Parts: sequence; structure tokens; C-alpha cells
Amino acid sequence: MITAKGLYKRYRKTVAVDHLSFDVRPGVVTGFLGPNGSGKSTTMRLMLGLDHGEGETLFDGKRFGTIRRPMNEVGALLEAKPFHPTRSARNHLRMLAAGNRIPDSRVDEVMEFVGLGDVKRKKPKGYSLGMAQRLGLAQALLGDPQTLLLDEPTNGLDPHGIHWMRDVLKTLASEGRTIFVSSHLLSEMQLMADELVVIGRGTMIFNGDVDTFVREFTQSQVVVRGPDTGSLAETLKAEGADVATEADALVVSGLEIGKVGHLAFTAGVELHELSTRRASLEEAFMSATGASEQFVAKEPVRAADTAAPEGKAL
Amino acid sequence: MLDALRFEWTRISTLRSTYWLTGMGLLVTTGVAVLLGVAARNEPLDAEILTMALNGGASFGLPFLAVFMAIIGIFACGHEYRHGTIQPTLTSLPQRSRLILAKLIVVVAATLVVTFASMAINTLVVYIVWGEAPGLFEDPIATALIGYALYTLIYVLVGFGLGLLFRGVPSALVVIFLMPLIIESIIFGLAFVPALDWLVPVVKFLPFTAGARLMELNPAPFPPGSPDFDLFSRWTSGGIFALFAALILTAAWILFKKRDA
Repeated sequence: MITAKGLYKRYRKTVAVDHLSFDVRPGVVTGFLGPNGSGKSTTMRLMLGLDHGEGETLFDGKRFGTIRRPMNEVGALLEAKPFHPTRSARNHLRMLAAGNRIPDSRVDEVMEFVGLGDVKRKKPKGYSLGMAQRLGLAQALLGDPQTLLLDEPTNGLDPHGIHWMRDVLKTLASEGRTIFVSSHLLSEMQLMADELVVIGRGTMIFNGDVDTFVREFTQSQVVVRGPDTGSLAETLKAEGADVATEADALVVSGLEIGKVGHLAFTAGVELHELSTRRASLEEAFMSATGASEQFVAKEPVRAADTAAPEGKAL
Repeated sequence: MLDALRFEWTRISTLRSTYWLTGMGLLVTTGVAVLLGVAARNEPLDAEILTMALNGGASFGLPFLAVFMAIIGIFACGHEYRHGTIQPTLTSLPQRSRLILAKLIVVVAATLVVTFASMAINTLVVYIVWGEAPGLFEDPIATALIGYALYTLIYVLVGFGLGLLFRGVPSALVVIFLMPLIIESIIFGLAFVPALDWLVPVVKFLPFTAGARLMELNPAPFPPGSPDFDLFSRWTSGGIFALFAALILTAAWILFKKRDA
């Protein structure tokens, strides 16, 4: 169980983390979502006392800095490649293990577990990003901790690796551990996480389960297709719905699918399709964090589009 | 604390640079003793040559072992930042002062062991060449050699402090080489210029220059016509060098506690 209370961090004029409070429960995977630069890494560093700020994080009731041999209780993976390039992967883990009285046999065990058994005596300099992430997970798992904090652990993994990471985290959670994993890959979170903490610009946007998040931040739409739906569109608008035309279909928002079907039936309109379209977590995320994104790129504009008005003026 | 020491020992002993830096330091100091032996084998062994053979030329102004060990000192914390390992390190050992203390103890112990090993090897070289080492355990040679060990130790502590202060390797290396070799030499040299004689009283406070007095056999005779530098005694000068190391270490330690990792 992780309890974060009033986490706050500012760099000169920028507030990176603005009074975040949340709980991370054991037994489930909790996703920590936010766009790039929204303060996910800073929050995790605050939780572990790596950065100094306000607020308090308790791991099963204890502050991280007060835990004796903390790797046995909280495992962390924060940066992608925090290894000395010429020290072998095994020695890197032996070093960390030595500070927490973890036997060398456990080092070999976790390296086998993450699939690096054959390259454990190699230097991490030659590791791919995916291998480095596996080594990072091995590091987090060294002390067989009850709590795991992982910052973007699927970065650099291939699809097979992502699948593997997802299974590992789910299994670990099912053993009753507390798993807090950050990502900006929402499709990934949809498959991996049960609970979500969503932040944007350092402030809390949502805290709850994945389905509620999707429901709260997405409008479901009704797609209507038929040979002649023109008159139906007017009827639907009269009922207060927003109707957009998309190719040969009507996209209706603001009305239940049953109501749309009923209106079509009473108006005697022939339908070939009547379905609900649910926004993905990706879209929910965009609508939830759209206003709070830190670095917003401009929409790409085609040269022809910008040239057109000038052409008209001539 | 034992956990932190175990961590730091594993850290330093799994780095290849520790071995080649120690090896280079021992090789060069032994080399100086061998060269002296070859050059002066037919002369009677006086206290001056004996001291220089034992400290590997350090009292001549080239403290090889101190420099190599200081690089190990810089690496102790500098490497953690250069390669980003400070993050896993602090998630393994979150008590920052305990971590720094463990690093200090390991670096100090390593420096003392290597320094005494170097002196032992060089004593062997002296015995092989001259068959004797007269006055080794008596003043003034014994005092000068103790001073040499202290000088090396303080030099390494300066390196350790700089690595932690700058949170990296290159800038710390630049300072530890530039300061004694260039800056202090320039100030010392300029003090001889009559128009810049106000630099004369500064010279005795130059940390590395003052520190070097720790390992002097006799007060160094300045050439005639030199300004009167009014240098402090061996132990006061050593104290200035130690104070300099303490200031850097304290500043680095306080900042390490306060700053984000």
C-alpha cells in the first residue's frame, strides 16, 4: 500500500508537481498516466526521496528514507540506463544487493527471471534499451519487494517484451503486491492497469478504475447508416442530438442508441447499421489532458492549404 | 553502516579503473625508486635520496601516487553522477550521510593501504640497490614519510570532495590538475616579480604548496634573492591543506544533502 499526501515540487517558477495525493492499493496494477513533462518522473522521485519537495509518501506506513534495507520492501526502476558502462550487469546488481544484505544467489535468480541469464557477465554498455529495461526490472525485483515503482518500464521493449512485462506485472500484482507503473502509452495501460492515477501539468486529473475513466472522459456516439438518412438527421437534431455526417453515416452524440433506433423506427427510415462507438482510452486521455499538455505541437499544415487563399486573392 | 560499507566495497572492487589506477600509481612510484637506484647506485645513500626513493618522487614535486589515488577519490562520487547510478544507489541506500561516510571510509582505507604498500615496495628496491636504508625509522626521514602519507591522503580527500561537489568527473579532474600545477605555480612564480610582491604573503596559504611541506625533509632552501615567503611550519602548512580539503568536503556534503539527486 502506498499513500501519497500533498506531493509538491517547484523548480524556480515552474510547479512540476502540484499537491498530488493518491493511494495505490495492493493486489492490482495501478497505472500512472500523463503526457510527457506532466511530472510523472518527478512525482516518483519525490516519493522515493530522490528529489526534495513537500508532502509525504508512506510505503506500508513507512517513509522510504526510514526503511532499513529498502530494496527488500520497495523496488524501483526510474531511469532507463543507470549503469556503469564497464561493470558487468551481474556486478551492478551484486553491488546494490550488497547494500541490502541480499545474497548473490538472488542476483543470478532475478537475472534468469528477466531473461538475461546468458548475458549477465556482459557489460551493460552493449545492452539494447530493451535489455536495459529488463536489467532495470531485475534491479527492482532484487529484494523480492512488496511494492514496485516503475517509470516507463515498457520503453524500448519489443512487442514480445511488452507482452512479457505486462504478464509479469499482472502476476506480481495477483500475488498481493502493490504495483505503481507510469506510462504515456495509454493502449498499454488499458491492457495492464486496473486502477489509474492520471495527471497533467502536475495536477490530478483522475484517480479511479480504468473503466470509470473511460466512461467519464468519453462520450459514446451512435453510428447510423442507411440508404436515406437525411430526414432522420433533422429528427435527431430536433431531439437535441449533435449529428455529424461521416462518409455515408451519421454520427450521433447526445442520444442513447435505443432512442435513436426508436426514432428511426417511428419515422420509417430504413437502417443498415445502428451501433455504438466507444472512444478508446487514448481518446479519453486526449480529452482529459488536452488542456493540460505541457508541450503542444502545432497541427501540421499542408503547403497547398496555406497557399490556397492567396491564389484566390490573385 | 556495515551495509553501506559492503555496498561501497563492491562498487570500488568491481570497477576496472580502480585496478589500473592503483597499478599505474604503484608502477610509477616504483619506477622512480628504480631509476634513482640505477642513477645513484654508486653514491652513498643520503637522507635526501632515501626519502625521494621511498615517496616515489613526491617530495620532488611530482606526487604520482597522490594524483592516481585522487582520481579514484573523484570517481567515488563523480562516477555515480556521470553514469546515473546515483539513482539506484540511493534507492538501495537512502540515508545520504551514511552513504558518503561509507564512501569516505573505503577511499581513505584504500589510499592508506596503497600508500604504505608503495613505500614498502620502494624500501625493497632501496635494499636491493644499496643493501641498507639508514635512518628509515628515525627523524627526519620517518617524519617526512608520515607527512607524505598524510599529504597523499589529503590530496585524495580534495579529489573526493570535488567529485561530490561538481557531481561529475571532468570538472573535478580539471580543478585537481589545474590548481596545483598551473594556478599555484603561476602565483608562486609571479610572487618573485617585485611589482607583484603583494602576492608574497599569499604563497604560504596556497593549499597544495602548503601541503607539499608535509613531506619535506628539511626546509627547502630558496635561491638567493628570493622573497621571504615566511612559510609556516610542516604541521601548520599541513593544517592549511587539510582545512582546504575539509572546506570542500563540507560544502559538497551539505549540498549533497540538500540537492535533488
